[in-house]
Amino acid sequence: MFALRRWWDKNALRGVLILLAIGSAWGIRQTNGTLIYEAYQYVTKPFHLAAPPRVELDNAYVLDLQQRVVELENQNQKLRELIDYQQDSELDTTTLAAVIGRSADHWWQQIILNKGSRDRVKAGDIVTGPGGLVGRITAVTPSTSRVLLASDPNSQIGAKVSRSRSTGYIRGEADTQATMFFFEKVPDVKVGDVIVTSAFSRLFPQGVPIGRIASIDLGNSPAPKAIIQLSVPVSNLEWVSINPYSPKLDVDAAPAEIVNDPE
Amino acid sequence: MNFYRSRRSARRPTKRFKSHRPIWNWLFTVGSVLVCLLLLPTRLPGMDILGVGPNWLLVWVVVWSIRRTQFDGAIVGIVLGLLQDGLTGNFPTHVPGLMLAGIITARLHRRRFVQVDLISVAIIVFGLAIATESVMALQLAGQYLLGEDALYSSLSSIWQYYQRVALSSAILSSLWAPALYYPLQQWWNRYETK
Repeated sequence: MFALRRWWDKNALRGVLILLAIGSAWGIRQTNGTLIYEAYQYVTKPFHLAAPPRVELDNAYVLDLQQRVVELENQNQKLRELIDYQQDSELDTTTLAAVIGRSADHWWQQIILNKGSRDRVKAGDIVTGPGGLVGRITAVTPSTSRVLLASDPNSQIGAKVSRSRSTGYIRGEADTQATMFFFEKVPDVKVGDVIVTSAFSRLFPQGVPIGRIASIDLGNSPAPKAIIQLSVPVSNLEWVSINPYSPKLDVDAAPAEIVNDPE
Repeated sequence: MNFYRSRRSARRPTKRFKSHRPIWNWLFTVGSVLVCLLLLPTRLPGMDILGVGPNWLLVWVVVWSIRRTQFDGAIVGIVLGLLQDGLTGNFPTHVPGLMLAGIITARLHRRRFVQVDLISVAIIVFGLAIATESVMALQLAGQYLLGEDALYSSLSSIWQYYQRVALSSAILSSLWAPALYYPLQQWWNRYETK
């Protein structure tokens, strides 16, 4: 008994401290590091950019517009064929945000923005930059938000070739590249084609430019794949716009109920 | 080493928290972790190769564990691993990698394979940076081999990315290790000799 008591006296404080450390670390993990990102935002505030550099943005904006025109022309052509075309590719009004940090580890492709829930940014919003799609907001704190880039392997985006409407999905592959897997065995696609998000995508609105095809591997099994060069220069991105968007997570209809005949 | 250990274990149970000084020690320790966490999302000029920055938390774990027991090293590895998970995402997790780093550092020093100086700390950090990135890559590879919905489309893409990340992270972390090692070690030395 005495030995136990002595052991307790010796180790109680240490044990409490260990529990405290693990507990608070767990708490910070569960809240997605809210506290730390808030502190980060506060500390780096003096270094944030004052206003978006207009001239540089304009050049990239022209490229963005070119890709959008290609997409719109194709859409127009389809519109004549399809009467029940749903126009939901318009992005809502945007908030401009500065990039204040990169991912806290090398295995994730993330960026940190200086707008958070105080500016009515919410998880699921779409982030676009000069050139097209940047990514999707996965976590927000009161004044920062974390964006999962389209180039992260966690990002899977339904996509289509703007010219021929061949569809598939894109998976990030680090850096500024992504791989597109086609649904068809022989897709109508060639190098240089513009890729945009498709209507199959639940997490993204359709018609947002993603990038261009850099190379194609038609012999890949089970489905042909292509390497996509993402059009947004993520490595020196400084300003992005946040577009409010609600993911279509409820597209799966509830199972039908079997109705028994009352007789 | 024995010199430090015996003295510390003699002091630890009795004197801690009886004066105000240990509070400062804890504040400094926690504060240095906070500084490391705030450094993680930054990419200051000269601090990144191919978009990869130094692994500050790993350096912290090594500096902490180098004069402490394996148990202490493991606990700190778990805590910092959880914190880094909070900043990024839950899978792959950083906990096992940093925990391993803490245990190995404490073991290496206990067996007197290495001495405590700037160069050996840099070398340990280099090796362990590669080890922790390997743990991350192994998690992804395991998910690819076992699970159906793997993040990477092939083992070769994991391997390719791993090579790049491991090497640049190891070089940068070991080069920047003294920046963290020196102040922390100075502080802990001073605190312990008083």
